[in-house]
Amino acid sequence: MTRYLLGRLLELVPTALVIILASFALVRLAPGSPFSSEKEIPPEIRRQLEAKYGFDRPLPEQFARYVGNLLRGDLGLSTKYPQRTVNEIIAAGFPVTLSLAAVALVWSLLVGITAGIIGAVRQNTAWDHAAMTTALVGISVPSFVLGPLLVLVVSLRLHLLPPAGWGDWRHLILPGLTLGTIYAASIARLTRGGMLEVIRSDYIRTARAKGLSERLIIWRHMLRGGLLPVISYLGPAIASMLTGSVVVEKIFNVPGIGPYFVDAAFNRDYFLVMGIVLLYAFFLLLLNLVVDALYGLLDPRIDYS
Amino acid sequence: MRKLQRRVGMGHFRRCHRWGILLVLMATGLGCQESQAPYFGTVRPRHGPDELWINNSSEPEWLDPSRCSDSTGGEIIWNTFEGLVQAHPQTLAPLPALATHWEVSADGRRYTFHLRPSQWSDGQPLTAHDFVFAFRRLVDPQTASKYASNGFIFTGGAAIARGEAAVDSLGVRAVDDLTLEIDLVDPLPYFLNFLSFYSFMPIPRHLFTELDRRGIDADFWTRPEHVVCNGPFRLTEWRFRQRMVFEKNPCYWDAASVSLARVRVAMVESATTALNMYAAGEFDWPGGNTSLPAEFLDHLAGYQDFHRHPYLGVYFYWINTKVPPLDDPRVRRALSLAIDRDALVKHVTRGGQIAAAALVPDGLAGYEGLGLPVFDPDAARQLLAEAGHAGGVGLPPITLSFNTSEGHRQVAEALQAMWQRELSIDVTLANQEWKVFLANAEQMNFQLCRMGWIGDYADPYTFLELLRSDCGNNHSGWSSPAYDRLLQEANREADPNQRLALLRKAEALALADQPLLPLYVYTRCQLIKPYVRGIWGNHQDRHPWKYISIAADGGVGESSAGDHAVSVSRPSEVRR
Repeated sequence: MTRYLLGRLLELVPTALVIILASFALVRLAPGSPFSSEKEIPPEIRRQLEAKYGFDRPLPEQFARYVGNLLRGDLGLSTKYPQRTVNEIIAAGFPVTLSLAAVALVWSLLVGITAGIIGAVRQNTAWDHAAMTTALVGISVPSFVLGPLLVLVVSLRLHLLPPAGWGDWRHLILPGLTLGTIYAASIARLTRGGMLEVIRSDYIRTARAKGLSERLIIWRHMLRGGLLPVISYLGPAIASMLTGSVVVEKIFNVPGIGPYFVDAAFNRDYFLVMGIVLLYAFFLLLLNLVVDALYGLLDPRIDYS
Repeated sequence: MRKLQRRVGMGHFRRCHRWGILLVLMATGLGCQESQAPYFGTVRPRHGPDELWINNSSEPEWLDPSRCSDSTGGEIIWNTFEGLVQAHPQTLAPLPALATHWEVSADGRRYTFHLRPSQWSDGQPLTAHDFVFAFRRLVDPQTASKYASNGFIFTGGAAIARGEAAVDSLGVRAVDDLTLEIDLVDPLPYFLNFLSFYSFMPIPRHLFTELDRRGIDADFWTRPEHVVCNGPFRLTEWRFRQRMVFEKNPCYWDAASVSLARVRVAMVESATTALNMYAAGEFDWPGGNTSLPAEFLDHLAGYQDFHRHPYLGVYFYWINTKVPPLDDPRVRRALSLAIDRDALVKHVTRGGQIAAAALVPDGLAGYEGLGLPVFDPDAARQLLAEAGHAGGVGLPPITLSFNTSEGHRQVAEALQAMWQRELSIDVTLANQEWKVFLANAEQMNFQLCRMGWIGDYADPYTFLELLRSDCGNNHSGWSSPAYDRLLQEANREADPNQRLALLRKAEALALADQPLLPLYVYTRCQLIKPYVRGIWGNHQDRHPWKYISIAADGGVGESSAGDHAVSVSRPSEVRR
């Protein structure tokens, strides 16, 4: 297992290099410049601007310098926000995106697992149908519909929570729910499916024969089996909560890093684009690794040695 | 030129947001069903009477007056710094600010300003040397300011920016601590008006020495932990892309007339989100940099807190005059005459814009507009026939380019339909992502491309300079020595009426050749809570917080004056 993990970690190095090179080439191939605007800039001034960011150097040299700085942990300067370094921008925004994803995750697990259990235990009853229909709706309603609906009802009608912004816990609720609901729906279906798989298995029957209470059977035995598919789903789900928060962050004006994914590219903010891409790449690779490792731990049929 | 509020290719989000606003409008239900609710959302302030909550739409690039080039930074600088003169909040006429009075030489080229004794926010005295430092810094290539060209009005400015002259050769001198002498290249009649622009604020020299001594990068001098300013408010908190907090600056010379103690500024980019927050009372006023979603202007216009006023900006299309068939002025003029501009502003843009076929808005600083016809299809068809393309015969396909945005697309589609209907010309549409669009415009890689131009000062020259041969913003390829000469003559003309006549002649000369297709003059639409006082509609959308106050009684039910004026409670005469 350790050997397997070390091998996987080593594989990350060439992957990261390819990602850096590809994103560097792609942002530079795009026409336009970070300094273009409606108003022309005097050529001497433009040269000064380019020199400040090193854009006056040949591309290979710029690339070498970028990688060199990267190794020292320096992601460079933003051209769109010249008062900030990319490190600062990510340090300011990433915790925000993380806390949003955390709320979404808790919400999706809470609702998803509860609905899944209800669906499985009361299989083919009105309860089950209601839970699964809700899940189907949850999967189908995109966040740009759910978000404004929540704002409409909770903020503008009931005046319970602020419609957008950031600052305290109240600002976390609506975007967290909006982001988490689609995953809650998937988790509900996975939980239900997983539990139904084990519900008729021998060890559950044994447990019943032993006279264990139905509650204990559900919580201790059925749920454990039912959660296996959920756990394997969580890796990609968390990754996609982090990367997929762009629409939610726009709607609720959450100052996370989601919108940079789009905006930094539009602004040709070269170093910011690279910084965000690298951050996401790092997290995706890491989460994939964690999920693969977890498979090994949870499923005895998988053996990495 | 102030950077235009641009709308980049976020079609997806915009579509999403349209959903959102539709729902919001349904929910607030203030439209047809509840006629007794004349305001959009809450009508009571959610904070004390000495506070103001506004939006500034996005994170400003620079808060440094020498480097700022966008309206979001300008909004902050205007309220944290004060220059020699300030603009009257209603008329924008120059009023004494740090300068109490001034003299102008007979040839109109030398100004001598007399400063009032005043202090920086750290208590240090503010002197004429701080202005010299600021104006040199503006044109210094080391500063790399995108707005360095604003300093080209001073003698030596352009040469310094090109690196051909020493920085201290700039025609701006401190005669003594409280006297500033400025030499201008031309006797610009709009100089005092322009001088209230954010590029011309003083800069605290002593702070740079101090930061240097402490080994701190001077580029960061406007951060709240360092910043020293001289305006009505000072920045005390800056959370990146969340909010900025400003507090009244007790060292400001006119602090006695500042009513607000605290201003909270959010940075909400989405127009729909900003609208939601306004409805919920999170904003008292979405601020001059927030646009309202165009598709709902008709609906919003029914509320009492909705206000509309003309804005110093022109929406137009550049014509690439170098490529056939648009190298023929007759074809270009035919295109212009075949546009039904009244229908365009009434049915497509719907914001009360003013249809215009000329570049300079009529009545700007006493300028008499050319009064060109905004629609004359018969003349258009005749011109096209003269050019040998009667009924569109023999015309290669024409492409209209615009940067990706729903609003620009709608205008382009309307033009396409009008030209098809009136001239039987086939037009294809091409939308491009913003930076690609700009690169193509710069390289004249287009046939027709849309543009908007916002004036920096109330003078026809702010628009007419666009067509100068040496203007880097002239993307038409059109150049005329006669036109350049007329502009130059106008700027050297001391008699204002003579000067306007020369400018008018120049505009007529240019538009006879039609290097661009003006469509309309902008308007600005605002929502302002009924309890907010001291915001007046003006054509540069400048609303100093200094004059804003919160009415203790809430102000509901009071009628705001007509379309153009916004709530006025203070005496309209501004303290001098």
